[in-house]
Formats: sequence, C-alpha cells, structure tokens
Amino acid sequence: MSTLHLVRKSAFTTNDFAQCLSVLDQQDSVVLMDDGCYNLKHPLMDSLIKRSESTISINVISNHAKARAIETLAAIQHIEMNDVVELTFTHNKVITWQ
Amino acid sequence: MVSSDTQVENNLSQESGLAIINSKAPFSSDFGKDALDVALIFGSFEQKVSLFFQGDGVYQLIGHQDGTLVSIKDYLKTFSAFEFYDIEDIYVCQQSLVNRQLDESFHIDNVNVLASLEFGLAINRHQHVLRF
Repeated sequence: MSTLHLVRKSAFTTNDFAQCLSVLDQQDSVVLMDDGCYNLKHPLMDSLIKRSESTISINVISNHAKARAIETLAAIQHIEMNDVVELTFTHNKVITWQ
Repeated sequence: MVSSDTQVENNLSQESGLAIINSKAPFSSDFGKDALDVALIFGSFEQKVSLFFQGDGVYQLIGHQDGTLVSIKDYLKTFSAFEFYDIEDIYVCQQSLVNRQLDESFHIDNVNVLASLEFGLAINRHQHVLRF
C-alpha cells in the first residue's frame, strides 16, 4: 500500500510537514506544492532526504517553487501539476497536509 | 519628582503612528495584499506607517519572485511605491531570515534588519499595531 502526500503548508508556521514525516512509509511519495515549497529550506527536509536514500520519492511543483524564488535541491524531482494527476493513479491513497 | 501618572502619559505621547506586522507568506493567502492596501491608504492620508516583516512574512521581501507563475497578480511589485507614500520605516526580523536560510537581499531598498530585541522595541514605539 502506498500513499501520496501533498504538502501545502510551510513548516516554519505549521507542524503539518512534521506530522506528514511521522506517518511516512517506505514506498510513499511526497509532493511539495504551494507554501509547502518553503520546506525545501527547513531542517526537517535534511532528515527526509537522508531517509529517502531508500525508496521515498520527493517531488516539488517546479512553478510553485520558481514563483517563490526558492532554489531546489538535486535530490528532489521537479514535476508539473499534471504529473500529480498521474501520481494519484499510481498510489493507493492521497493525504493532503494543509 | 515626576508622578507615575505623568510618566505613563509621557511614554504614551512618545508612541506614534501605525505599525503593520506582516507574518504570512505572499501567495497562498490575501493577508499580504490586504496589509499592503492598508499601508498605502494610511500613507495617502499622510499618516505615519511602519512595516514589520516577521516569520513567513519575510518571504514577501525576497527578490526574484514571480506570482504570475501561480496565476497571482504580483502585488509585491507595488512595494517599490512605498517611498511615494512616505513609508520609509521598514523592518525585518533577523532571526526569521536566519531560520529560513535567507540572506539580506530584498527587492526594495532601505530595509532595516533588526535582531529580535530591537524588532520588539521598534514595534513598541508605535501607538497602534495591526497584524496580518
């Protein structure tokens, strides 16, 4: 069973991202969108990247990060909104963190 | 010997103008735009306005942003009109920048970066405070 996690809030203001990480499973995927893009610069991101050496895929909506002038990291895949639709089909469940 | 009542009065009279605290990131809510509207309205009536940026609000000042990519009319560009409205006191919380790994390069000039203590003191110099 795999879950798609849509992270839409800044971890600097809410603890939604921390809650997401606490339930994250090996075969899950994370998508950073809207203010969730700010999490790229949050200390929690480092811990996620270290974990994701395994199988967790981390993605960011490139337009959302670019609009906010956030530099993205090499370990993270850049996707578009229509790729999110694809991801909803390849995962069993979707959780939106907002 | 000054009575305590007079001292309180003196302190109050030193407080003047409106402080607007911005605490939200620019594109996912209307708070930033609303704060800007209030600031410009007070400015056009020649009321003293100071702007404070704290927490995720500091993202409003970061350069090279482009709201059109997420279908938002980019109100941040209007920040460059502050000097025409005589809004000259703009303060940013240094700790908020450090936490977010942001450097002190902003898309407008004459921004004062203050450590937490001075930031608080600067807010307290104002008679009224609105937080967005």
